[in-house]
Formats: sequence, structure tokens, C-alpha cells
Amino acid sequence: MLALSRCVAFPFRSPIQPPSPLENPHHRPSKPTKATTMPPKGKAAPKPKGTEATKPPSVSTSAPVAPPSTTTTTTTTSAPSPGPSTVSERSQQRFDESRPYEAAREKSGLSSLAPAEQVAWISSQLARSSAARARLGPKAQRELWRHVNEASLPIRAPKTKPSSGSWGKDRAGQYIGGYTAARFDDRAAKRISLTALEIASRAFKHTRERARKGLLDPLSREPVVLAENETDQEKNRRRQMAALRRELYGQTMGQFEQDPEWDDVVPIPQDEPEMALAAIAYPASYAEAISYLRAVMQKKEYSPRCLRLTEHIISMNPAHYTVWLYRASNIFAMKLPIPDEIEWLNGVALEHLKNYQIWHHRHLLVDNYYPSIADDAEKVSQFAASERAFLAAILAQDTKNYHVWSYRSYLVGKLGTWGADELAAIEAMIADDVRNNSAWSHRFFLVFSNPAHTTPGTAATDPDPAVPRDIVDREVQYAMDKTYLAPQNQSPWNYLRGVLAKGGRRLASVEPFAAEFVAGLGEVDEAELVRSTHALDLLAEIYAEKGEREKADLALRRLAEKWDRIRVGYWEWRRKCLDVAG
Amino acid sequence: MSAPPKYSAAAAAPPRLRSDDDDDDDDDDDGNDDEETVDEEFISKSAGPVTMIPDVFTQLPPVRDDLETDTSEAQDETVEACLPFLAGQDDLFEYNEHGVPRINREKHIKFLHNSLGRLPGGFVAADASRPWFLYWSLSALTMLGEDVSHYREAVAETARGMQNDTGGFGGGGRQLSHMATTYAVVLALALVGGEEAFEVVDRKAMWKWLCSLKQADGGFQVCMGGEEDIRGAYCAAVIITLLNLPLDLTPESPAWTGDSSANLFTGLARYVRRCQTFEGGISGQPDAEAHGAYAFCALGCLALLDDPRRVIPKYLNVPRLISWLSSRQYAPEGGFSGRTNKLVDGCYSHWVGGCFPLIEACLSPAASSGQGGQADDSDRAGLPPVSESLFSKEGLIRYILCCCQDQSKRGGLRDKPGRLSDAYHSCYVLSGLSSAQNQWVLAGSDDKSATGVADPAWTVLPPLEDVQIFDKRDRIRPIHPVYAIPDENQRAIRSYFLAKDSEGFF
Repeated sequence: MLALSRCVAFPFRSPIQPPSPLENPHHRPSKPTKATTMPPKGKAAPKPKGTEATKPPSVSTSAPVAPPSTTTTTTTTSAPSPGPSTVSERSQQRFDESRPYEAAREKSGLSSLAPAEQVAWISSQLARSSAARARLGPKAQRELWRHVNEASLPIRAPKTKPSSGSWGKDRAGQYIGGYTAARFDDRAAKRISLTALEIASRAFKHTRERARKGLLDPLSREPVVLAENETDQEKNRRRQMAALRRELYGQTMGQFEQDPEWDDVVPIPQDEPEMALAAIAYPASYAEAISYLRAVMQKKEYSPRCLRLTEHIISMNPAHYTVWLYRASNIFAMKLPIPDEIEWLNGVALEHLKNYQIWHHRHLLVDNYYPSIADDAEKVSQFAASERAFLAAILAQDTKNYHVWSYRSYLVGKLGTWGADELAAIEAMIADDVRNNSAWSHRFFLVFSNPAHTTPGTAATDPDPAVPRDIVDREVQYAMDKTYLAPQNQSPWNYLRGVLAKGGRRLASVEPFAAEFVAGLGEVDEAELVRSTHALDLLAEIYAEKGEREKADLALRRLAEKWDRIRVGYWEWRRKCLDVAG
Repeated sequence: MSAPPKYSAAAAAPPRLRSDDDDDDDDDDDGNDDEETVDEEFISKSAGPVTMIPDVFTQLPPVRDDLETDTSEAQDETVEACLPFLAGQDDLFEYNEHGVPRINREKHIKFLHNSLGRLPGGFVAADASRPWFLYWSLSALTMLGEDVSHYREAVAETARGMQNDTGGFGGGGRQLSHMATTYAVVLALALVGGEEAFEVVDRKAMWKWLCSLKQADGGFQVCMGGEEDIRGAYCAAVIITLLNLPLDLTPESPAWTGDSSANLFTGLARYVRRCQTFEGGISGQPDAEAHGAYAFCALGCLALLDDPRRVIPKYLNVPRLISWLSSRQYAPEGGFSGRTNKLVDGCYSHWVGGCFPLIEACLSPAASSGQGGQADDSDRAGLPPVSESLFSKEGLIRYILCCCQDQSKRGGLRDKPGRLSDAYHSCYVLSGLSSAQNQWVLAGSDDKSATGVADPAWTVLPPLEDVQIFDKRDRIRPIHPVYAIPDENQRAIRSYFLAKDSEGFF
């Protein structure tokens, strides 16, 4: 048997193979000793089938560089093949080399071989077939092995002829048979690592399940416990698994699938019919998160992990109203501190300025939080101040954000912050941009919805006798002062009308003011000067109020003809109103 | 004061004729001789066909302030961006003799069909508003004259996946039912039409769901745990009337009074009233700023509750509302803004533009037939009817056709020059164009429908034969002033459920 060992190793020791330049220098050579213990059978032969998982024998690196002349196959008709550049070629070469005279015999018949070659071919056939050998006597068998040894015949050989395509393709669609040996080995090593990780991961789940059920360890009779670091190890393991699966098979392992914490949740994927319209090609991360959201919402789970899930989804799609409401439910169910949530929300709001849902969420938070501080004036005032500071920051970015202003008016009503601080904050915004109509609207709300001096439920366009005269005077003056800055700015004009209506005052009470912006009405050419169409509009109404129909008509006509022609249809209708009123 | 125009020659030009073969770009001329340049050009090149653009659309408004603030800067930039388009100077357009381009039907249609197809991953932010894409695209396609009934099965299937057992439709599968997405789904079903589409709706569950959103103060929440606002009021009124739902409340409703004294419509008009602001416009919720989109919601909601001649003056200060609505139209842009001192945006062509047919109907005299038409002049608060139009239809049509069409390969309609087109703007720009091109009138109130809801008869007048600034072939299909879908579509779905309920809803 010792004698055989040399030749048994033969198919693996291709002396004609130069070391590949791509060879991995750290490559672990196969153990030649193992081959020596093997019976002279074909069992250990490489199997270049589709089963590429087989650890490839990689003798080439360990083989000394031998000149082609040392080969025992020089007598065959086939020329020595060059070193294989791919694993597919290598298999083919091994196959050919394990059958030294086969190619020649197939081509020209056994009789074409030299007598020694004929003996060698026959010997190798017999050596590979124990059934055939069994029919030989002991002497013939000894003779056989002598021939085999002398000719250094390969005994073990691949059974199957390599066929193209049997290696399969990798994630990039590349033929695996076309890999270099080193690359192939690398892939195989990764597959082994992945399998090992999967086994360990299953063991983790098994242990966790046993710990959860409070089972005893059969050996120690101690309860099974899941050590703290085991979960972290498992997380780390899943990360590695995800990386390997992606690299090997192009499979993505979602963030939640990777997280042992979510193992108990069976995600509910989107199940839309093929023909669904306006279907979105969701990024995998979004689709995965939503499928977990559906699952936890269905079982009405409220937990820290659900809160994190909502944050994750909100970061990808802040317009998802369902997830916001579910987030609020989580916070209220777990009784989490509202100020913390508001703190978190501030960052989200600054990041998504145009979002609508954020502000309803804040509204719900305040509704929930306020009763807990309502009796503590100090706390209410602190909270109001911090909210005001945040609103200032966000309105500095987007001065007319409708949702922010709507929230602001809600907040004032809720906290009762009708006072000087709020008014000062709004005056500062109007000072920044006197045309900011949102700020003007908020001021109107502050002054004329303040329950301290207004009648609740009065319509915005109706008079309210409860409003003190000095407040009306103050607001009229405020609007007038601001009008001088830019007379064509409609905001203070609308405000002024609103104030007059609330105060139940006649429009004519501001006639001198309005008249300041109009000169020479109806006069020719340059003599007529209108510095504010809104003043002229108001004057028309004042004249009508005073019964000065002709003057009113002239004002409206001049608006239609010259000063505000785009609104001609409206001015014409207003002229008709004069007739009805008259 | 009359500030000197600070823009290009085109903007400063007097009413000017522009020859079609005028390939000189006088847009970026500078210096003081601009007007002369233009005049010479006019004299020397007026041989060919000429275009007529009133100077109100090519010049800055006569009254301007010197003070610069963020608001005025944004406004100036917008005017500057629009003027070349309005003055017939964009190379991508072919202008007619009125200086108005054709509507690019084919490109817009292609864009809209694409909006119904598979949307790329970047649309993830629209994951909760997919029903809107159905409505916007189908509505815009319908207005452009496309037959969308071949989408019936697909719309039905898509809608089915968004419906919740507890009633209503969410923004997608297993999302909470929402008033806005339900509104969009119901309109999309009405647009594709047919029993297969109508039968998708679980009306009993829908009715219960609406009851659960109805609030004691008269308004509607938009979803369970969601905000109460005027969108909820309008959407609910549309859903209830289109689906012919009963008005009774369930005992589970927050508005349930223990007897039958309150129903789904009780207090709804009062809620709308609370949303009118001191400016005269309508806010989304009480105490907020007047906003164009909410004005349409308010008027649309009221117009479904009763005859507009009666209900609008009863609950709203009409003169202040009209003043505010009219102030939304700007020159030279011609388009509408959504709020005081905000910029024009194509979508307000519908939100604000669509208010005018309702307001004009509210001012129209009651039908002489007297059939159910109790509304008389006293209902109209002594206000006169409108002779032609309360707003400049020409201005709006110019803004839409010149500034809101994406003339690149992309197609679709947009907010303003420099913005990308999208399905939302395509829908509402075209809705606005439709209401500017077509004239609706309101006959006397019909008898109350089976649901007890007033059912005023809206009819569209035949196209005017006089000269229009747009090409005859560019007339957009008329849409119902309240439901914003073609009249026949709203009739079909309502009569389907009316007939179905002849043996009772429950």
C-alpha cells in the first residue's frame, strides 16, 4: 500500500501545473497524508458535478514545480495541457490526466497503443474495478499492482466527465466554472462560514426558546438562561450572515430579519394584485419595515421596539399618517414622558418642514400632556416658552407654514397664552416681513378670540360688542402704522377691515386715512395717483356706505379701467351692487 | 404709486403686436431705449400674422411698493419667471394670434397614463396617498377627453386592496381609512364607472365609519384619532351624497344625541361657518388663515347641503368672501394665489377658480318655474347676479396655457414655470381650465332626493360662439362644479345606488 501512495496522489499532483499568479498565498493545501490512507478506489476523487460545495483539492500550491518532462504521460499522444486558469478547466484536466491512455484509445483503438501502454491501460481499468479484480487470481492481482506501480498509473479518478454549465452561476450571473481556483476557494470558504453561522443561529433560537419556556438543561439540571451577550453575539452573527448572503447569492436580509428581537413577528408583506395602479417600487428597506408595521399593528402591540419601528418608517416616509397615529398610541399606552417625545419631534419637524402629520401628532401630545401640568402655572408657562422658542425656530425657516400656524393658534387656545409674550413674538415677525399674512392672521386671532374680552362663538366677520374700545383703537392704529410701510400690501388693509367689523365701526371712520393714498381720482392722466388699490377699494365702499353713489362708482370704475384691471369682473359686479343697495 | 417697470422690454412694452416670424429676442435688452426698440420692431415687421396680448399680462401692475421684504422678493421672482411665457417668448411654444399656446394633449395624456403605472422608489413619500394618484390621473385624463373605462378592473382591484372591513379606504393596504383617500377612491370609481367599480364599496361599513368620525360640533374628523377640519366636511358630504348613504347616526357616533335629533349633516354648515376668517376667506380649521383650497371645500360642502342660493348666504359673509376670492387673481400672471401675499400656483386654478361657479350660482336668480325653488332675492342677501364673470377667465386661461404646461418631453401640468409637473397639478390645473372655459348654471332646486339632500340641477351651457383666446379644439371637458368629475359620472353612480336602495339600505 505504501507504494501505491505515490500514485494515488497523482491526479492531485499535476506536475505540469505552474503556480497560478492569482493563487492565494494563504491557501491551505489539502493534506496529502489523507490520500495515503485511502484504499485504491475512486471514492475520494473530486466530483466536478454541480456540487461545487466540495472542498476542492488544491494540491497545486503545495506541489513542487516540476518540469513537464517528469510526467509519466509523455508517451501518450496528447500534448501536455497548459495550466488551468479556471476551476472548470482544472476539472477537465484532472479528468483527462486520470485517464492517461483513454483519449488515444478512444481515438484510434487499443491496438494503436504501444504494448506497454496497452498493458498500462488495461491495468488501470482493472485497478479501478474491484469487481473485475475479484475474478483475478492472487498472482494476477500481484502482477496487476506491479504494473500499476511501475507505470505510476492513477487509480483514483473522477467518475463523471465534466460538463459545461454544471457549475451554475453566481449572483452576478457569472459562470462559476470560470472562476480561478483561488476565487472559487474563497467562495467555498464563505459558504462554509455561512452554514456555520446558520447552525449557530439556530442554536441561539433554540436556546432562547427553551429559556423562554423555562426548561431545564438536561445535563446541568439548571434552568436554561440566555446570557446577556448572546443576543449581541446573535446580532453580530446575523450581520455576518446578511453580508455573506448578499455577497454569495445577492439575497438581501432585511434589517428586521437580522434583528433577533424581531424573530417572533411574522411580517405581513404587501399583497397587491399584479394589476394594481400607481403601485410603488418600494425600496427593500421600506417594504420590510412596513411589513413588520402591519404585523405589530394587527396584534396591537405597544412596546419600545414598536416605537423604534415607527421612527424608522417616519424617517423614510413622514407622510404616512397611519404610522404617526400608531406612534401616538404607543406613547400613550406605555405612558412615556411627553416632553421626551416633543424633543424628538422637534428634530423631525425641522427636517421635514412641509409635513402635515407632525403637527397633528404634536397636537395629540399636547392634548395628552396638558392636563398633567394644568394646575401648575409655572410649568405651563415654562412649556409655553419652550414651545414658543421652537415655533420661532421653525417659522424662521418657513415663515408662512400653514400647519405650524394652525398648531400655534391651537396651542394658544390650549395653554391660554393670549398675553404679551405671544403678541410680542408676532409683532417681531410682522416687523421682519410686514407682508407675512400668516402673522397678521395670528394676531387677529390673538386679539379677537381672547376669551378675556371677546364673546365666544362670534363669527370672525361679525361685530363683537364685548371687545373694549381701546383694544379696537389700538388695533386700528397698528394696522394704519404698518400700512404706511407699504401701502399696496393687502395684509394690514384686510386686518383693518376685520378690526372695524369686530368693533362694529363704520368704514367711514377711516376715510381720511384711506384717502391719503388716492389723489385726483377721475382727473386726467398723471393727476390721478393711486398708491394703494386697497385704499381705493375701501373708499368705494365708504362712499357707498355714505350714499355717495357716484363717487363709489367712479372709484370702482377707475379700479376696473386702470388700477386693478385683472379684477375687472369683480369691480363691475361691485358697481352693480351699488344699484341694488341704492 | 406707479413704480417704473424694472423688468425686460417685453414686460415694459405697451400693448404690442408681435409677428410670428419675429425671431429677435428682445427679452434681455437693457438700457432706456427698450420701448423704442419694440416700437420699431412692430412697425418694421408687422407684415405677417400678429399676436395680441393685452398689456395687463405683459406689464408689471401699476401700483407697486418700494419696500422689499421676503414676500415681495418671492413675488418679483415669480413675475420675472412668468413674463417670458406670458409674452409669447418661449421657444418651445407655438402661439396663436392671441399669444396663447395650444394645449399639448398628447404629452399630458402620456404623462398621466404613466402616473397610473408603476411608480419608482422615489415615490415612497406618496405611499399613503396612492388613491390620490388614481383620482388625479383619471380625472385629468377624462377632462382631456380620454376614455378611462378600460381602467375599471384595475381601479376596482386597487381600491379593494385599500378598503378596510371597518369602512372606508386607506392610503394603501392595511392603512387606516382616511376621509381624503376615501374621497379620492370614490371619485376614481365614479370616473371609471360601472357596476364592477361601484360594487367595490362596502356602503354599510362606510356609513358606520362616517358616523364614527362625525363630531358633536358638526364637523368630521379625517380619520380615527385624526384632525377635524374642513377637508373632512367636504369629503364627507361628497361621499355621503355620491354613495346615497343614509344620514342616520349610529349610537357609536360621537355626535349621537340619544334620539334621532341629529344626523350626519347636523351642524355641518355651522362648522363651515366657523372657518370663515376676518379676511372673508376660509381656513382649514377655525382660527387659522384663509386659504384657497379650503374655500373650495367650504363652498362645495355647503352646495351639497342645500341650494347654494340659500345655504351660502345663510352661513357665509358673501361680499367678504367674494372680495377675498377675487383678490387671489394676480396680474400680470393671471393665475390665482392661495392666500394673501402668497404666490400664484396652478393648482389654485381649481381651488379658487372652482369657487366662482358656486358663488355665481349663489348669486343667480331662482328659476322661474318655482319648482321647489324657494330661494328668492332675499336669500341672496340683496346681492346682484353676475353678468359675465367675477374673475378674469382670460387671465386664468393664459396663465394655465402659457405657464402651467410642461413643454419638455415630460409633459404634464405644473405649479409655475421652473417647477416639475405632477399628477396633482395636472388634475387641478385642468379642472380650473375646465371651469374657466365652460359655464354652469343652476336651475331651481329639484325635489329633495331620497336621502333628504337637496339636489340642485346644474347644467352646463353650450360653448359660447364668440371669440375665445384659446383654440376651439383645446376646450376641456366640463366637470360638475361640486364633484369635479363629469356630470354624467356623478349621475351614474348616484342613480346606481339610488336604484339599489329602492328596497332599503339596511
